[in-house]
Amino acid sequence: MSDVTALSLAEIAAAIRTRKVSSVEVTRALLARIAAWQPTLNCFVRLEAEAALAQAAAADAALARGDTVGALHGVPLAHKDMYYVEGALAECGSRIRKGFVAPATSTALVRLAAAGTVRLGALHMAEFAYGPTGHNAHLGPAHNAWDPTRITGGSSSGSGTAVAARLTYAALGSDTGGSIRLPAHFCGVTGLKPTYGRVSRANAMPLSFSLDTVGPLARSAEDCSLILAEIAGADPDDPTTAGAPGWDVRKTRRSVSDLAIGIPSAFYTDDLDADVARTFDDTLATLRRLGVRTVAVALPDQAAVSAAARVVLAAEATSLHAPWLRTRPEDYGPQVRARLENGLAFSAVEYLEALRWRGPALAEHLAAIGDVDAVITPASTSAAPTIVETDVGAGPDAEAAIAAITSFMRPVNYLGLPGLVVPAGWSAGGLPIGMQLIGRPFGDETLIALGAAFQAVTDHHRKAPPDR
Amino acid sequence: MSDEVTPDRIAAMAAAARVPISPEACVSVTRSVMPTVARLSAHPITLALETEPSSFTVVQRREIRR
Repeated sequence: MSDVTALSLAEIAAAIRTRKVSSVEVTRALLARIAAWQPTLNCFVRLEAEAALAQAAAADAALARGDTVGALHGVPLAHKDMYYVEGALAECGSRIRKGFVAPATSTALVRLAAAGTVRLGALHMAEFAYGPTGHNAHLGPAHNAWDPTRITGGSSSGSGTAVAARLTYAALGSDTGGSIRLPAHFCGVTGLKPTYGRVSRANAMPLSFSLDTVGPLARSAEDCSLILAEIAGADPDDPTTAGAPGWDVRKTRRSVSDLAIGIPSAFYTDDLDADVARTFDDTLATLRRLGVRTVAVALPDQAAVSAAARVVLAAEATSLHAPWLRTRPEDYGPQVRARLENGLAFSAVEYLEALRWRGPALAEHLAAIGDVDAVITPASTSAAPTIVETDVGAGPDAEAAIAAITSFMRPVNYLGLPGLVVPAGWSAGGLPIGMQLIGRPFGDETLIALGAAFQAVTDHHRKAPPDR
Repeated sequence: MSDEVTPDRIAAMAAAARVPISPEACVSVTRSVMPTVARLSAHPITLALETEPSSFTVVQRREIRR
């Protein structure tokens, strides 16, 4: 076969399953590509080449024997360094967890292994997943594959840029305040933050137990669906998934011509730069050509919803980190330590009021959107800024800078909604721009259907950065 | 939510949580959280007595049947 690294997850899984290419050949091709890109991107924190080749050889042997295999048999993947594998390192982008050996394997990785995937290694992330840019005081920044002077977005920084550079067919990220969707936007890949409670978080590093979600970054909506088909659904080890439906692939393939999307009348259209505004308009035009009905919606006060999200995130993250804040605060990077200290500002009553408001706020949101199937917004106000201009550390403007980058993200986490970011256009400087589709609770499959329909008539998701 | 956050309040909260924090950091926290506090103060949250965190799950799960 020609360059196997250029194929999608769906295509490579089919090629391996039908023995057009072996898992070992694919793994070797990815390892060669990783070797070429890693010095530029700083996206892998650990490469497990020998183990990956051994897994790939075993996968090929299973196919040769005619064994029954999973949907992703022999496909090499890498994931954010916060998904535990029993007996293996999971350092979470931190100094504090340097050398931490996980006591159990995360449910998401158990399920992906059962589907037959091969593990390539662990990917760069913001320290403890608490940063939206891709900076890391201990590891150095991850670099954007489209322009290495630009940020990747975070906290799933390595996942975003590794998928963009075709170093892995997909990667798990996590999303507490935009950490899947922002790297998807800045790196030009597709990212799905599932409905809260749809995917088990068991044995993945927590940041904020009320907001954390587990999901994929991949090259297309269809590829995200392939990952969700394996990892979604109830897990006794994560009570938030109790009663969660399994993945329904039929819904992802439905026609979109009878769907309606809402266009917010405010907040998400404020302060957009010209490239993002143009891309937003172009995306709406494409969706209308597909038969999607668009209607204006007046959402409840999104700034208040976003503020409530910040209270919940800050209080929960600080609670989780309080033991280390008491005993080894100097081992945090300056920005993460400062953000954790911010969580000390909120009383128990204030935190619980913010948490108790989630139900009424979600009811208010659903009433505002009526019967629409999704709401569309830009993912951010601009394409990727530079690493230098966003290197605000713990300076006085850090929180404002973070709030500006994440402003279109946080309401989705607070309301527990699914959010899909798809590549939708380009800046004048050639940087990718993503658009965000926000679904109804457990409407993840509908977002995939919309994303797949959009990607069937556009080619933004097929473009890869030039080799460096 | 209180619309007033001061470094003294942050210092007291940190002491209650047994987390060491410098006076300079208390000033920084005050500045960082003020926009959040101001926004929520401008949007008072009125909650029924019966509302609890899991009320969110009740609203969310209604959509599974949709």
